[in-house]
Amino acid sequence: MDMSRAGLSCPGCGSSNIVDDDLYSQAQLVCVDCGSVVSEGTLANEPYGGIEVSYLRTTAVKKRLCANLIKGLERVKELARLLRVRGEIEDLALTYFKQAYEHENFIKVSLQRKEVLAGCCVLLSCRQQNWPVTLGTIGCLLSVDQMVVGALYQEMLKVLNITAPIFNVTDVIESHCQEYKISSLHVPEEMAESSEDLTKRAVALVELAADSWIVTGRQPLPIMMAAIYLAWQSLNPNKHRIKLSLDKFCQMAKVQRHRPALTRVAELKQVLCKLGKEIPWVSERVTPENVLLQVGDILEYRYALLRRALRTHADALEAEGLNTPTGETANPETSERGGQSPDASAVEACAPSAERAEHGGGGDANPDSLSAQSDPQSQDPAANWGKRMLFAPPCVLHAKRRRAEQPELHVTGDEEISDSEIESYIRSPQEVRDFALTQQKLSSPDA
Amino acid sequence: MDSSDEALDIIVTNVVATFRTRCHLNLRTIALEGTNVIYKPEVGKVLMKLRKPKITASIWSSGKIICTGATSEDEAKLGARRLARCLQKLGFKVRFSAFKVVNVLAVCSMPFAIHLVNFTNNNRPIASYEPELHPAATYRIKNLKATIQVFSTGSITVTGPNVQNVATAVEQVYPLLFECQKPLNKRKE
Repeated sequence: MDMSRAGLSCPGCGSSNIVDDDLYSQAQLVCVDCGSVVSEGTLANEPYGGIEVSYLRTTAVKKRLCANLIKGLERVKELARLLRVRGEIEDLALTYFKQAYEHENFIKVSLQRKEVLAGCCVLLSCRQQNWPVTLGTIGCLLSVDQMVVGALYQEMLKVLNITAPIFNVTDVIESHCQEYKISSLHVPEEMAESSEDLTKRAVALVELAADSWIVTGRQPLPIMMAAIYLAWQSLNPNKHRIKLSLDKFCQMAKVQRHRPALTRVAELKQVLCKLGKEIPWVSERVTPENVLLQVGDILEYRYALLRRALRTHADALEAEGLNTPTGETANPETSERGGQSPDASAVEACAPSAERAEHGGGGDANPDSLSAQSDPQSQDPAANWGKRMLFAPPCVLHAKRRRAEQPELHVTGDEEISDSEIESYIRSPQEVRDFALTQQKLSSPDA
Repeated sequence: MDSSDEALDIIVTNVVATFRTRCHLNLRTIALEGTNVIYKPEVGKVLMKLRKPKITASIWSSGKIICTGATSEDEAKLGARRLARCLQKLGFKVRFSAFKVVNVLAVCSMPFAIHLVNFTNNNRPIASYEPELHPAATYRIKNLKATIQVFSTGSITVTGPNVQNVATAVEQVYPLLFECQKPLNKRKE
């Protein structure tokens, strides 16, 4: 403890015999000869705020990932497990999340947005690995509006510079069917249905809906719900199933009901009736009530029935004389060429079933039809194509009547403006006085 | 693909233009002495509606005015000048300046239905389509600064900085739409 200090001399007696002395554990330099304290500990000598130590030394810690990044990665894993996706999807999602998190667009956003970002990464990797989930599902899992998820998803795609396959109802329906708990483990025998049969029939119904303008522009979940409901009913149309309403079906299958699904069910039934009418071996009238019995046959032969229905419709219109002179009738030869199998479109899409759905009985390249539709100026073609088509979207069937067109003002922008027309926009002094008075009177009883 | 054969009708539905009056405007005076005006003190502007051409103008006290509702660029200019004259008559030292058409909205109807998934796949990344968010595919032409929304029924809406750009945008996108048409349910009967 007593150590000599070289190089120091005591100011009191000049001796160089100075030792370190720890009195009350405060370091002191004391002269042995006269006992005066040369310097007191480092407390007084320390610079204000403490000894100068370099910043790197004080903050040197083991390099760790940002805590929120770790939390976000955990959230990604959680979501992937909730959706029961494959391992590759989870890994891909984690990669994307790490990439996106570090980007300037996302590093400083709120924690809630970072959570939504985790959901978007899962969504992206699901789509790329051919196991698509809906935006609605992600929104539900994160308890946010699906529009928020969608906007963030699109921003993320731009930031990561990635293209993802487009969402298609026919792809999602397979994974969506799994959610419905109506196997024989969950419900009584007459209500139970195997998942494979149900999926197959629901997929066929969704493809039919896509062909007949029910899918386009609508939310996918209600369509899928309607398809699954009708598939379930028609696979075994006993009186229990027919009587069970959509609401009770959703309760039984433990899924959340969507209100538009009822309209979709009605629309699908209408389309099925139109096709059911064409079945050659059915003699009685096909109505929405009894069409359930025919659904199996309708779906199996739907392309042929579609062609027949279109031909019947064209013949009926020709009889009524509504056809255009260029003969916009259905072309039997080209439709035969289409055959029972759907037309394989030239464009290779990531969702090949989309092509089968959209190009149902064979597309033709009839150049004449273009010129027939060359008068879009009047409102009539829009209304006509709804009436002339067997299947048309509701926006065409119930076309909004445009207000009587205002006569086009032929102006140059630089015309003279007469005083009289401007005067019409200005109150006369008397009117101003009256107006001010009225305003006062109106506001005073209120006050 | 020669689009002039079919004479596609591009209907301009809205033209938005701005101009400045280079003087401070007293909104209360305008609200008191003008007819066809709505005063919105909470936002700090006055809405003035003209009859002919049918235009609605938002007037701020700084002198900046935005005119919406015109159906052509010339109409927008005429409406703006009428407005400036009107403000002059109300007693403000208005000088009509910095007139600029800011946005043009037009609609157009194709004589065929469009397969949106094909269209988007053919034109990535310029085109984007999220059916769960919006029923139309969006196609943005960067150099024209135009945005086209394509619906599967064949209708499209185009927004751009002026009418010329909008027309060019329709011409540019027509062949892309044509090759993705959905023949079965629209042309066949």
